[in-house]
Amino acid sequence: MRRIRFLLVADSPGHTTGYYVVGRALREAGVEVILGGYARPEEIVETALQEDVDCIGLRIMDREPVMLVSRLRQLLSERGLPDMRVVVGGIIAGSDIGRLKKLGVEAVFRPGAKLGDIVAQVSVRL
Amino acid sequence: MTVESGYGNRQRNTTYGHPLKPVYGPDDVTQVDYARDLGSPGQYPYTRGVRPFGYREREWTRRQVVGLGTAEETNQRLRYLFEQGQTGFSVCGMGYAPYESSDSRSEGVLGRGGVWIDTVRDIETLFEGIDVAKVTINQIGASLPVFAMILAEADRRGVAYANLHGTIQNVVMPGGEGEQLRGNHCIDIIEFCTRHMPHWNHTSISARNLRDQGLSSVQEVAFGIYQGLFTLRAALARGFEVDAVAPRITFFFSAENELLEEVAKYRAARRLWSRLMSERFGSRDERSQLLRFHVQTSALSLTLQQPLNNIIRATIHALAAVMGGAQSLSVNSFDEVIAIPAPAAAMLSLRTQQIIAGETDVAAIADPLGGSYCIEALTNEIEAETRLLLERLENMPELKAWQFMADEADEAGYRRQHAVDAGERTMVGVNRYRITDEEEQELGPQPREGSSYSPAWRQKQIARLERAKRERDPQRVEAAKKLLVEAYGARVNIVPPMVEAVKACLSIGEIASLLAGVAGWEELKRRHGLYLQLY
Repeated sequence: MRRIRFLLVADSPGHTTGYYVVGRALREAGVEVILGGYARPEEIVETALQEDVDCIGLRIMDREPVMLVSRLRQLLSERGLPDMRVVVGGIIAGSDIGRLKKLGVEAVFRPGAKLGDIVAQVSVRL
Repeated sequence: MTVESGYGNRQRNTTYGHPLKPVYGPDDVTQVDYARDLGSPGQYPYTRGVRPFGYREREWTRRQVVGLGTAEETNQRLRYLFEQGQTGFSVCGMGYAPYESSDSRSEGVLGRGGVWIDTVRDIETLFEGIDVAKVTINQIGASLPVFAMILAEADRRGVAYANLHGTIQNVVMPGGEGEQLRGNHCIDIIEFCTRHMPHWNHTSISARNLRDQGLSSVQEVAFGIYQGLFTLRAALARGFEVDAVAPRITFFFSAENELLEEVAKYRAARRLWSRLMSERFGSRDERSQLLRFHVQTSALSLTLQQPLNNIIRATIHALAAVMGGAQSLSVNSFDEVIAIPAPAAAMLSLRTQQIIAGETDVAAIADPLGGSYCIEALTNEIEAETRLLLERLENMPELKAWQFMADEADEAGYRRQHAVDAGERTMVGVNRYRITDEEEQELGPQPREGSSYSPAWRQKQIARLERAKRERDPQRVEAAKKLLVEAYGARVNIVPPMVEAVKACLSIGEIASLLAGVAGWEELKRRHGLYLQLY
């Protein structure tokens, strides 16, 4: 069975602690992590296609989460990836969690999340 | 009932890994010579502070960070805070993006990560009702067009540059076009300020954001001082004397949970900087030897869980900054871990400062913890450890040193998260004394949402930009473009032509495209650093 390929991206440059910490924890747990850095939705989808990833992890700090994920979902569908797994983490208001889940976001990780829980979520085989 | 076993048997360490003793005494400070190592406040080596009478002489600046929506929303919040006793201007978001608000890239971000600025008209709105000659202005980031817009606004109001007080978060990084031009536009700013703006801090070394990734106090100070020396050397290469530029080099530090260690950190940083300026750079002007700093309290130690606890944490951080002698302070809002702070939370941060200043008397005494056995022992230890790390950095090629600092910060963040997950590092509400969301609700109403994002900000900003362009003089625009392109090609100091460009109402997006046309985007990033790469 091939290892899970996970694309990790951020919604803005800078303030990369969480991005780095999550990426490294996943790698050490055996996940194949592709570091996409700061990327716009168009670029995220392009990389997801090229790298044939199983799951996209999006760090959100500067952008409005629901608008961002809506756009990402729309582009994923247009490019033939409507079922792409998406997990997000970062500065996300509690009231947005329900809306993000409706957009097919598998899990929302907020400050205080444990690395072990993130690894378990990403590694799960559906 | 459970009995806490916490301190008894467990070793406690400083953030830099040295054991903390349970008791400190005279034996721990035998090497301290008062005149040589401490001096009274306002005396070399300034361990005890930069002024003889501390805050009685000049209070620290209350400088809460503001930045949301368009210039109108931010101006409203700023004016409200000034009415409530804020004394410094500090706005984030200005000039972070190298494109106009109408670009599709601004969707969902415009106004969320700070205020949006397109043209000098936005800066006029931002400062409306604020006396630019009276407040001290802090520019977060070092966007050159924004700096020029602040100068243009001073011109419009007839305020001489020499009467402006403020700080730009400017630092010279490796790269550039040889020794004379190292630092590129950053060094242009230093040169311009040194010649024309005697009260403007042309350099602000942001060690705080590195620290907030999880570094130790020693790493924070060592990395900060390394960057400060790097910037100073760049200015010396441009032909300045040390005492012409060093007085306006300032620092930006964090304040973490370890209150006593933090106070010792600020003291050690002051002592080390003044010694380096004097011993190594031969400075004669005492102003060069004063390490002056702003503090923004920790964000890393704040928790989403039971967010009201963050008020307590931020108060401890603020106390550390004040007892450590900070010149300027911003207390993080307890809800910033959730979203854009709510107005009530922003107000509470300001009140935290005012309560410390007005009700506690900790600010009535300069260096109130000086002479404490543990504080002096920690101050010595931090200075010694910082010197070792600084030496290590200075023995590296410069690019390697900068990479080393970034890597160490990442590594520290990773280790810290593991320590929290494993319960080795206590975070109340996260790995100890947890309660469920339901239990939290039962305690009563909890503030949990902050301010919400308004997509209407973008429409409003695009309309502002269109109006600014409609009303500008096309001939002046063309002339300013020509001037800017020529200056950029010739590599003369870019500040004056930039002031003319923003006065002609060129937008930041237009300026960035124009300059990219001369030098290419990659070169532009090298010359202008981080603040043309965001978003």
